[in-house]
Amino acid sequence: MSSESTADARRTGGDPLITFQNVSRTFTGGKASSVTAVDDASFTVQRGEVYGVIGFSGAGKSTLIRMINGLERPTSGSVTVLGQEISALSESKIRHIRKRIGMVFQQFNLFTSRNVAGNVAYPLKVAGWGKEERERRVAELLDFVGLADKADSYPEQLSGGQKQRVGIARALSAKPDILLADESTSALDPSTTGEVLRLLRRANEELGITIVAITHEMEVIRAIADRVAVMDKGRIVEEGNVYDIFSNPREDAEATFVGSALKDRPTAEDLTRIRQHTKGRLVTVSLKDSAAVGHALGRAGELSVSFEIVHGGMNTTKDSHYGLLTLAVNGDDGAVNRFISELSGTGAVQEIPEEASA
Amino acid sequence: MIGLIDTYRDLDWDFYGPELWEAVLETVYMVAFAFAIAGWIGMVLGVLLYTTREGGLLSNKPVFWVLNFIVNTIRPIPFVILLAAIQPATILVIGTGIGNHAVIHAMVWAASFGIARIVEQNLVSIDPGVIEAARAMGASRLRIIFTVILPEAFGPLILGYTFVIIALIDMSALAGIVGGGGLGAFAIQEGYNRFRPHVTWLAVIVVIIMVHMLQILGNRLARKVLRR
Repeated sequence: MSSESTADARRTGGDPLITFQNVSRTFTGGKASSVTAVDDASFTVQRGEVYGVIGFSGAGKSTLIRMINGLERPTSGSVTVLGQEISALSESKIRHIRKRIGMVFQQFNLFTSRNVAGNVAYPLKVAGWGKEERERRVAELLDFVGLADKADSYPEQLSGGQKQRVGIARALSAKPDILLADESTSALDPSTTGEVLRLLRRANEELGITIVAITHEMEVIRAIADRVAVMDKGRIVEEGNVYDIFSNPREDAEATFVGSALKDRPTAEDLTRIRQHTKGRLVTVSLKDSAAVGHALGRAGELSVSFEIVHGGMNTTKDSHYGLLTLAVNGDDGAVNRFISELSGTGAVQEIPEEASA
Repeated sequence: MIGLIDTYRDLDWDFYGPELWEAVLETVYMVAFAFAIAGWIGMVLGVLLYTTREGGLLSNKPVFWVLNFIVNTIRPIPFVILLAAIQPATILVIGTGIGNHAVIHAMVWAASFGIARIVEQNLVSIDPGVIEAARAMGASRLRIIFTVILPEAFGPLILGYTFVIIALIDMSALAGIVGGGGLGAFAIQEGYNRFRPHVTWLAVIVVIIMVHMLQILGNRLARKVLRR
């Protein structure tokens, strides 16, 4: 797959479809209590990319994604979508832009009063398509999501994965430029999650649709995203290439989400346990270039140090793989320093100080 | 038991038969007429109650407050009192304060506000997610009301309307008070007032049959719409 290079080309292509500039959204409660759901968010999504937003529940992701199609309005800042400043438009003007933005929901939100074909045809009716065109398009989409035989079924007769596939077909039906995926796999079991993610990826790759996906599941980001923003308490605390964000070990509390989701970094409790039965200096090595790391580790004997792998994890993203290894290194000080510096040549290496385990 | 059968066999059917039939027709006329008007008014009011509430599609505090207040004011008035109290308005609208049409006028008022509540309550149970989905597709608010909100609640609405028709039969039985006819008037004037309980019971049996038939029909329709 050469998607890394095409993704790069898209990114540098510089055709921004969605731009958030210092966007905040505050919900005012009854007694002067207010909650800032989104706090000073700025980011840009380019045409053709899959942009992931990840964070714990309550981080403001839902509000953020709903500001893209104007279901929520920012309290301050500006949101520009498809060349129009959504945040400045009236509800009736926003409607026209919404026809170019599909949305997939966590709870599917299918119309129970319509069958599968009726659900998929609804956005086409809204957009004013003729009956024949509608029927052709519905058949095409049901074929795309693999549910051609379910056209006459009603939502309650479908499994969760099938419902979400109908949801995706419905979101894609009016040929939108952008697809918003709001926790699209959170209500599904792991096997159907894969099915739905593959479908979203195909929508991006085959139909060229730009996707914004919010989720609390690392798997979703790994499987489909080109770039990712990490949200915490309403703020975007990190943003960038999926690979860069997840492969760089960080100490910031902000990145705890990444660590906890990847499970490739020992927690404080892990460290205490490791210290109890292991001697030596603990270092964390990032496996960006795993072949080079393997080579450097092979030099341990020559440098007369020994090491033990005490923790680690690898993950595969859309374009590559990465991970972290934690080693306990033993030997005399000079040799260990030399070994660590050789490892540093392969990527980021961090030594975990003694007190961190206390 | 034999005595009871004899009582009805020996009844003057040449008199009571046509009387009862006319009473049935009058009841059906009053109920159908009132329902045909109140059904629509109640639907509009119910949809407005649902959509103007806070966070609704047409969220509008003053409108909701006024509507809610009117519904809560009219609904608790016992129908027999409303029938009398509303007479000045009835004369204005119908031209007379007595007779079947006068009763229909009062029934329309009472049923409209009752239906408004029933419609509102059925709409509240719709998953807000489907409304959000329709909004996200760029559907207008009016389109959402007609093509999402009402169809999604269609099954429960049928049951709600069945309940209302039966309540209308109940109201129409009071027609005799203002000189109207129907089964209520028949039961009181031909039966109760003349100390003929078996004649009163003729009306009771007919009403029971009507209500059962309506409920069976309503249940069937609702089940068909709900695909259960």
